[in-house]
Amino acid sequence: MTGAPVVGPAGMVPAQPRPTLRERWARRPPSLGFLVGAGMLVVYVIAALSALVVFRGSLDHLPENLTWVPLENPVGPSVAHPFGIMAGFGTDLFDAIWKATPWDLGIVASILAIDVFLGFFLGAIAGLDEGGPVDAVVTFTGDSLASIPTFLLAVVVFAGLFIVAPSAVGLPVFVVVFGIILWPTMARTVRERARIIAHQPYVEAARASGASFPRLLVRHVMPNSVGPVLAQVPLDVAPIFFVLSAFPWFWDCQYPGGEQLHYPPPPLPYLIPLLPPFSPLPSNSFPEWGYLLGFGTCEGFSFPGGFDYWWMYLYPLLAIVGLGLALGLLCDGIERWRQFDR
Amino acid sequence: MPRLGRSTETLVVSRRRLDAHVEGHPVTASLQEAPPTSGPRTDPSHPSVETSPQESRRPLLSGYAQYALRRLLLVPAQLVFILLVLYLVIDVPISLTQNPPESLFGINRGFFQMVFNIFTGNWGTTSYTVGETGFLKLQLPWTQVFAYYIPTSVQLAMFALPIAAALAYPVSLLAGWSRRPGLDASARFVTLTAALLPVFVVGTLVLNALFLGYLGYFQDVPSDGLIPGSAWFIVRGGYPSWILYDFATQPTGFPLVDALLHHAWTIAAISFTKTLIQASVVAVAYVAIFFRHARSIARSVREEVYIVGARSRGISEHTLLWRHAARAVAPSFFLVFALTIPEYLGVQFAVELAFVDQSNFGYLIFASLTASDFSLFVPLVFLIAILVLGWALIVDLIALRLDPRGPAGR
Repeated sequence: MTGAPVVGPAGMVPAQPRPTLRERWARRPPSLGFLVGAGMLVVYVIAALSALVVFRGSLDHLPENLTWVPLENPVGPSVAHPFGIMAGFGTDLFDAIWKATPWDLGIVASILAIDVFLGFFLGAIAGLDEGGPVDAVVTFTGDSLASIPTFLLAVVVFAGLFIVAPSAVGLPVFVVVFGIILWPTMARTVRERARIIAHQPYVEAARASGASFPRLLVRHVMPNSVGPVLAQVPLDVAPIFFVLSAFPWFWDCQYPGGEQLHYPPPPLPYLIPLLPPFSPLPSNSFPEWGYLLGFGTCEGFSFPGGFDYWWMYLYPLLAIVGLGLALGLLCDGIERWRQFDR
Repeated sequence: MPRLGRSTETLVVSRRRLDAHVEGHPVTASLQEAPPTSGPRTDPSHPSVETSPQESRRPLLSGYAQYALRRLLLVPAQLVFILLVLYLVIDVPISLTQNPPESLFGINRGFFQMVFNIFTGNWGTTSYTVGETGFLKLQLPWTQVFAYYIPTSVQLAMFALPIAAALAYPVSLLAGWSRRPGLDASARFVTLTAALLPVFVVGTLVLNALFLGYLGYFQDVPSDGLIPGSAWFIVRGGYPSWILYDFATQPTGFPLVDALLHHAWTIAAISFTKTLIQASVVAVAYVAIFFRHARSIARSVREEVYIVGARSRGISEHTLLWRHAARAVAPSFFLVFALTIPEYLGVQFAVELAFVDQSNFGYLIFASLTASDFSLFVPLVFLIAILVLGWALIVDLIALRLDPRGPAGR
């Protein structure tokens, strides 16, 4: 009887060695989307780390080069400037986007971390505690806050803080405020899943055998409620960049008061944008993708009806959409892997 | 086999206890094969018939009415909570730092005064401090400003929502239903990309792409609100009398309806095309948001027992999809819409802004922020919250009535 399975201590389950990482990889290789998403994210991280080294002393401002700012005919992409020149700043757009990478990855990662921590934790507790006081508080607060458009709430809260202490408010406070604003949507979807998980037979069995609330939460409910988090994370990138880009764009292009404030026109280069009020950015030459996109959308159209300066908005847009897609592909791949596991 | 014997005995004993416990319960009685002739259902002298609390006491309200009442009472509580948040983030900071203008609600008067003012319709006045524009410098009451702006936003929404529904319904259903991974993956890819594009960028791109063609055909610009631009009127000898200050129209306020009422066919045509263009941008951007929620619903319907059963009996996929699944997902899709109204409003505000329409809410929000006038936000957020919470309430009640097992019934 050489091939007989080894009988475990319970007398029922044959003991099997845990598969190694290599065996798991061979059994279910990750999907193409996962690899592409992970690869894109690695490129972003490498770009951010290299920018920290390359632009060591000048990471927080864009250089202005007046010879690169012809008012009538901005310089497009060429070998010397692969992404062209951003009018107004008079800066190489490739360098500007590269320089902005560590800042933007930091902003997005911090906001998403707060968002996921709050949404996942509170949603899972509410789902497990269905009908209880925690559930009531989380659902009530979340539903109330979620009835206000995200960008509106974020901006109003930020502006309120700005009034109280303008000097103390900057990117860190913006990140914390936005992370706190985003959690209700996350918590709501997580709660729905956690509620279903909490009624599964294995959770009932664990509860009947005396498992405590924290153990049920950490051991059973949270690991099985990751799916909604993975679905929501890429979507939560969108409002961040909407707020960061919409206000510079509006301030420069749309707002008549903004135009009035430009008079009398400041000395050349007059196209250098002014920061909108309540901007989280520290200066008007701060490298940030949303800011570049807002300004590029304003200056990039040879209005009316022309797309002549397309590089000014296309490349910042590609940087933003690329980050969101990388996160989307990665999260989708992880979710598919987890489902395959079952 | 002593073990088996003992456990059987235990089983028998507990079965007897159970029977004794539930004896007399109407459901148990009806389940018995031969109901006793002198049981509690037939014997009027049996004590359980006269004194049974289950039969004699009926609840004052049905379960549905109780749920409806609870949900209805929740809405004012949520509104007050939102006002509390606004009080803390707007009014308190301003009262701490600035001399409060008269138009702000709670300042120096406390939270309860603010709640009272809001619920009694005292919504304050415009008080621009920088960049005064339009009639806002006139210090009008916000209620009057909203009355000017709501019809144009409603006209846009009346166009955008049917277009969004016509796009989102079949796309979500097809992508969730299809077993081909390619279709689903590409639909997810496209919608995630669309969700990541800032709407004002898309709006500006569309505006620019249409600009010259529109100008050539209508002698008008596709921007500048939902009526022709000022240059168009100046060339034709000025504004007609039914178009008021800041492009508000009379008598209804809806530009398209008013143009038709005054037989101004060209203005109506221009208003129609402008609304259609803006509504299409709103719809495409909103479908991207809607799709992420709706796809999983269509997917779960695919595995429903009655669908699988019908498929096994040879009903065609086409019939299953468009007759059965399409009907089954409708209540859930309404719930998704109720959940995503805030996102829809955000999209519409941004599109209104991108098309340089100065008489709308998108413009008001951005202009108020950049002009440091916060008196807008309390009434505006209150208005949005009423809309969102009210719609969520209605949809929840309808969905629960249609299908008590659905998400609202939990």
